[in-house]
Amino acid sequence: MTSSLLRPPGHLSPATALQLSQQAPIIIKNSPGAVTASALSSLFSAPETPELWTIYENLLLSCLRTGDEESAHLCLGRLVNRFGDDNERVMALIGLMKEADATDDATLEVVLKEYEALLQENPTNIPIVKRRVALLRSIGRISDAVTALIGLLDFSPTDSEAWSELSDIYFSQGLYSQAIFALEEVLVLQPNAWNIYARIGELLLMSVKSGSGDQNDSAKQLGEALKRFCRSIELCDDYLRGYYGLKLTTTQLLNDPPKPSKQAESDGLAPPNLSTLQKLDGLATEKLGEITRRFTAGEKGWQGFDEAEIAAAKELLEKSSSTTVR
Amino acid sequence: MTWFSKSTTTFGFLLLAHACPSSSCYSAYEHSALQSHRAASLSSLSATTQQAAASSSLPLDISLETIVATVIITLGLVLNTAKLRPIQWRVWAGQIERAGEEGARNSSGEIDKDFVGNPFKLLESRPGFVDIRKQRKEFAEWVKQQ
Amino acid sequence: MAQLPPQTIQRDPQLFYWILFPITVVMILTGILRHYATVLMASPPKKVEQPALKEQRSLMHGVAVRSNFHVLTAPSFKARREFLTTAFESGAYLKDPERRGQPPANPMTDPGAMDGMMGMMKNNMAMMVPNTLIMSWINTFFSGFVILKLPFPITIKFKSMLQAGVATKEMDPRWMSSISWYFLCYFGLQFVFNFLLGSDNDGAADAGNGPQAPNMFGPGVDADKQFQAEAENLAVIKHYSVLDDVEQRLLEGIKTR
Repeated sequence: MTSSLLRPPGHLSPATALQLSQQAPIIIKNSPGAVTASALSSLFSAPETPELWTIYENLLLSCLRTGDEESAHLCLGRLVNRFGDDNERVMALIGLMKEADATDDATLEVVLKEYEALLQENPTNIPIVKRRVALLRSIGRISDAVTALIGLLDFSPTDSEAWSELSDIYFSQGLYSQAIFALEEVLVLQPNAWNIYARIGELLLMSVKSGSGDQNDSAKQLGEALKRFCRSIELCDDYLRGYYGLKLTTTQLLNDPPKPSKQAESDGLAPPNLSTLQKLDGLATEKLGEITRRFTAGEKGWQGFDEAEIAAAKELLEKSSSTTVR
Repeated sequence: MTWFSKSTTTFGFLLLAHACPSSSCYSAYEHSALQSHRAASLSSLSATTQQAAASSSLPLDISLETIVATVIITLGLVLNTAKLRPIQWRVWAGQIERAGEEGARNSSGEIDKDFVGNPFKLLESRPGFVDIRKQRKEFAEWVKQQ
Repeated sequence: MAQLPPQTIQRDPQLFYWILFPITVVMILTGILRHYATVLMASPPKKVEQPALKEQRSLMHGVAVRSNFHVLTAPSFKARREFLTTAFESGAYLKDPERRGQPPANPMTDPGAMDGMMGMMKNNMAMMVPNTLIMSWINTFFSGFVILKLPFPITIKFKSMLQAGVATKEMDPRWMSSISWYFLCYFGLQFVFNFLLGSDNDGAADAGNGPQAPNMFGPGVDADKQFQAEAENLAVIKHYSVLDDVEQRLLEGIKTR
């Protein structure tokens, strides 16, 4: 169980988060409260590990999420004891706590003011910049959030998390090409992130579906989406999300082929020919079938998938098979 | 497989334990022999060199036993090692996606300490930008549903 | 060759308690003390000003684009290349653009550089002072003692190292003097400190003596020149993409697997 405490709990299901935060009092009781800085006792006690502080941080996040304020305060207290309240990361956690405690907009404004005061003092306090962006986004001031985020990326263009957040904000505003640009920056910094490849593919596909882009462009976008999904599968065997996207793209390309465009040809992003498309479609169908079958059969070593994703894949397979029968 | 490798290792250690005390006894014997030979060296130099050459090699059975024991122990330990991790990127990544935490269990059935899942998941969950108020709302709704 | 009779030297067993043991204990304690002294004296990492941070990270970003250009499609790489080369060449990311083209400042006058040097000085002092003290302590009290015999034979070359302070020509090099024991402790206690203090300690003598990592952004490096070089590197890239023929690779890969 501690292994999932070493990972940030953002993506965990509510049930897991609840389970984690229920363990919090026990973990807090069993872990050393304050690691003493005195030389003598540190010679004899177990050495402090970075994992301990990661656990506290993640426990804090889980507890805040489930509303267990008491344990959250305990965790924060230990972190403050160890690192002092002028540590940038601890400052961000304190701010997070205030945000969670805030009940009305006026309190949130106060927290925002505090962030701004901190940034006046030290404009390179990246955790606080990030908190400010998140808070601005949370209270609906999207354009301010984007401005602040771009300001962060201006002096720190190697922050892949920030680029990813920027992409997400743009996506929520329906600005697909900007979102894709930001994700490409993420890829430049993390060239092997298979989920980001799949994410770019999804964004391209959605932008074609939404019809926001130039209609002549759809050949290029679908071609690129197909390639992005292929690359994500190339980087990760049996990647459900990649195969799902691949299946969607090939279905789209086979049923409703876009008119070929010169632009796509010259950029090398034209969709492949019909036989390749059919082969890819067959491959995706086969793989999706295998993954769903093995997952449902409870086969060992195939249980890491998300249940909702498996259900979606099944639905897609059923839909496609019914159309072929017809 | 594990009981086989473990018993092999145990057997190897037994063998080594059998060989070792006798060899340490032997080295004690050698030491005393050298002491006496030093005393004798004062009287005649040529006679003692022969004696030293004769006593400076271990009996064959002890060295054989030690070597065989070492080989057996090594064999047992090698057989007992955990399954090797994938070194190809796509296989490794596929294992993470496919098996989740189960893929990182070591031989004793515990999840490895350094297992972090998909390291690029962070780029989508973005802990630095977490919107805690939204998460709390979602969680409260989930609790209501339960 | 006629075998020489092994030398025997009658040693007082008290030598062990009064020389060998104290030297070892003192060496270990000094190492621990030095570790904590370094921890205490360590100055917190200096805050980097925003323009300096921007300069560093922009350069790193340029390097990332240059080395991972293959993840981008041709049009998006072209756009980035144009933007970055223009910005790099015009010095848009420089810490202080008005100082462009001037020779780098003298590191002696740069307060940032002075800090780094002070840190190095402090470390060196923490190294030198106790070593000098212990050396003189051993030389005053224990010089000339032969304290132990190595359990394995060694060649005559080691004589000067092991028998420092004992000027006896005929003595077997296996015999060791007290000052040699000091040197052995000095270089050999790294693992004891690893055990006692954790792996990244400052206790042992040669922990920090490794080759210093070349500081990419250190004082005296002309950032403008680095940007110009990076712009040139970006300009000469012949672009290809991992997305070229990826579907063919995938189909073939699945077949062969």
